[in-house]
Amino acid sequence: MAAPFITLTIGLPWLGALAVWIAGDQHPKAQHALAVLFAVAGGLSGLALLTTTGAEVAIRLPVGGAFGDFTFVADGLGVFLAVIATVIGSLAVIFSVEYMKGEAQLGRYYAFVLLFIGAMAGLALTGSLLLLFFFWEVTALTSYALISFHNDDPKAVAGGIKALLMTQLGGVGLLAGALLIYAHLGSYDISAFLAGADALPPDLRALIAFGFLAAAAAKSAQAPFHTWLPDAMEAPTPVSALIHAATMVNAGVYLLARFFPAFESVPGWSTAVVIIGMVTALLAAVMALVADDLKRVLAYSTVSQLGYMVFAIGCGSVLAGQFHLFSHAVFKALLFLGAGAVIHAIGTRDMHQMGGLGKHMPLVRGVFVIGAGALAGIPILNGFWSKELILETGLAHGPLWGYIGMLIGAGLTALYTARMVWLVFYGEPRSHHHAHDARPAMAIPLVLLAVGTLTTWLLFGPFGALLAEAVPGLHEESTLDFVTKVVSDPATLLALGVVAIGLLAWQQRSRLSPIAAGLRALEQAAKQGFGFEAINRFVARMTRSAATVLQRTQTGELNWNAAGIAGALLIVLIILAGGGTR
Amino acid sequence: MVELLLILVIAAVACAIQAIRAERLLNSALWLAGASAFIAMIFYSMGAREVAIIELSVGAGLVTVLFVFAISVAGDESIEGRPAVPRALAVMLAGLCVIGLIWLLRDLTAPTPTAASASALTNALWHERALDVLAQVALIFTGVIGLLGLLAEPRSAHAAETHTTPVEGSQQKIAARATTESPLELQKEAARP
Amino acid sequence: MSLSPLAIVLLAVTLLLGVGFYGLLVARNLIKLIVVLQILAKAAMLAFVAAGYGQEHMGLAQSMVAMVIVADTVVAVIALALAVQVRRHYGTLDVRKLTTLRG
Repeated sequence: MAAPFITLTIGLPWLGALAVWIAGDQHPKAQHALAVLFAVAGGLSGLALLTTTGAEVAIRLPVGGAFGDFTFVADGLGVFLAVIATVIGSLAVIFSVEYMKGEAQLGRYYAFVLLFIGAMAGLALTGSLLLLFFFWEVTALTSYALISFHNDDPKAVAGGIKALLMTQLGGVGLLAGALLIYAHLGSYDISAFLAGADALPPDLRALIAFGFLAAAAAKSAQAPFHTWLPDAMEAPTPVSALIHAATMVNAGVYLLARFFPAFESVPGWSTAVVIIGMVTALLAAVMALVADDLKRVLAYSTVSQLGYMVFAIGCGSVLAGQFHLFSHAVFKALLFLGAGAVIHAIGTRDMHQMGGLGKHMPLVRGVFVIGAGALAGIPILNGFWSKELILETGLAHGPLWGYIGMLIGAGLTALYTARMVWLVFYGEPRSHHHAHDARPAMAIPLVLLAVGTLTTWLLFGPFGALLAEAVPGLHEESTLDFVTKVVSDPATLLALGVVAIGLLAWQQRSRLSPIAAGLRALEQAAKQGFGFEAINRFVARMTRSAATVLQRTQTGELNWNAAGIAGALLIVLIILAGGGTR
Repeated sequence: MVELLLILVIAAVACAIQAIRAERLLNSALWLAGASAFIAMIFYSMGAREVAIIELSVGAGLVTVLFVFAISVAGDESIEGRPAVPRALAVMLAGLCVIGLIWLLRDLTAPTPTAASASALTNALWHERALDVLAQVALIFTGVIGLLGLLAEPRSAHAAETHTTPVEGSQQKIAARATTESPLELQKEAARP
Repeated sequence: MSLSPLAIVLLAVTLLLGVGFYGLLVARNLIKLIVVLQILAKAAMLAFVAAGYGQEHMGLAQSMVAMVIVADTVVAVIALALAVQVRRHYGTLDVRKLTTLRG
């Protein structure tokens, strides 16, 4: 039943990538139209998938040999991520029509965006570890290509390579885990692994669990891999909204949620996940507080919010993590696209050159404030409900220090959100700009996402039911019960109090300046990325010097290359001769 | 049977060695044709009748024609100097590979028939390996495109001959030669520190 | 080791492979390298025929060999076309001079 929709959800964007490429850069209008057409069609078929979810295998492609069957499963968890990818993807593509108008090489841009959307849907819907790894790497590759889209800008190229290297480093963990699973279970099937995980030797299971954790942390920009995401902000803004806020970075959280039942009982794993989530949420919030670049602030806040999701999964609540992922995807895409409208209008990303823009861009200000309110956790916006759910889960099932850390994080979030909104839209203009409000192609996605930010929390009940069939041990409840529970919980008041303190701290910032002066050292450390940047640079330098050494082996002479092949054959022969006597 | 095979094998290997040792490319191609012919005879005497004929016509015939044609287009070029890999090292590597392979194959010297019944080529080709036939068709198309590349004239010289006056054409040819010969030298210059 | 037909043919396979490897290492002319590739492919064909002889399944072996012949011929055609173009473009077939891939 779900099979045609799965095919369409993955296939339409990929077909669109091909179509845009064939249309050619001489016909930008056709490219815009084709990209929007295929992206929206993919989004619609993704939505149609919601009606046909089921845990059974929907598509089975026998490929024989060592690969096993390539399967696709449309269960709640996967369909949810696929819908996020295709729907927000189509909104980002619509936004791009205005944002990318007049850019050169549109074909390359749209082809990679559509390729990414299809790969993300495939990543969410596949039931085979091998295909999971394949789609995982395709998303990394397209992300790299899009970060470095302006390939005459050395910063963009460096940011892209950094993102590629770090996610690849984590991807090794995923591949190693998948191969270990295959070696012991003889199957790449995810459901077979989830069913048979308890039968695996404990050491092996721990190895797989931490391998997957490394992959997820790298993909979701969790500490210590979080440094690539801010540098990825060199990408065109719709790409940042789509890949680096709403979808690809969620792949890591998805991976943790998907395999949580298998790794839950691995000793130390849950604690490690909690620690990674909390440390990331706090570090990134502090860095967001001192950043001057609007998109970097949003990037740090994304890292921080992803930390919340990881924390929730570490505390054992896949539902809380996925629900926050849902809210976050909507309001962060809104914030990024809003930021894109601002940057498109005035041509700079430095917040100190903005200010007072609200007068010129009332629509953008309106939707941006809604998104920022959701980020800060202001009641009735979707971010409030999901963050409360995470905090309550942390209080009920997680360690107390984790809960306190996340509470402080919530206060910091409110503080940096207030700072960002104030610097961009309020106060006196700090430089002269001829800003214009968003045009229709930009306004449509912005308004749709703002409506989503206001309303998606109402879907809590159906959302729980959607996930319940995919995640064992998940108790669903109706939206009404959930709302009553949150409102009546004293912890909610505490969290709201912390958020209010955060907002108040920004309002009273002039009186707090002595404290701020005392924290100058912390600010400096945050601007340096708390030393993680230095580690990165060290690793990069080592890699480069190793490359220089290895470069000498590339003589370019065919005969020496052949000698290398013959030498390798000799080694294989020796191994065969030694192992053949077995 | 055994004596005949021995002679054929020695002849084929000798032809292969000569094909590598030959100074001139044309001789090399002819020695290759000889090796191909002897290998086709080995096929025949082993019972692989059909492919023996294919090998004789395609391997020894068509490919040799192609080689001769390519050599006549590209020209025979005498290359001085020693190879990049020292001959001693090359002999050692190749010899070790041969020894290793013989070591691996030492138990396979007697026929080990399986339960599978003897099948005819046509049966195997059309029923068991039908997919391969499709792949071959695709490959042959690739070969045709490759052949067009082999036959293609350099575009600039061709255009010069047909569309310009003789004087201009010769000038363009000189210019074209200058540009065609320079890229390697230029890159070498650039590569030098 | 008794000299069965299979043993002789397998010996021929290894010897042809050895000759081919040696040629790959010392040949400097691009077209000569293509000749060497042909020799290596013939060794592979011979191995298929030997396997078919040993397993008494010659039909299957022959279909494989036919595939190898087709592939090998196409490889020769395309490689020769490339060699001709290389000669036109760079003015040489000497692989020691064609080192633009040097790292």
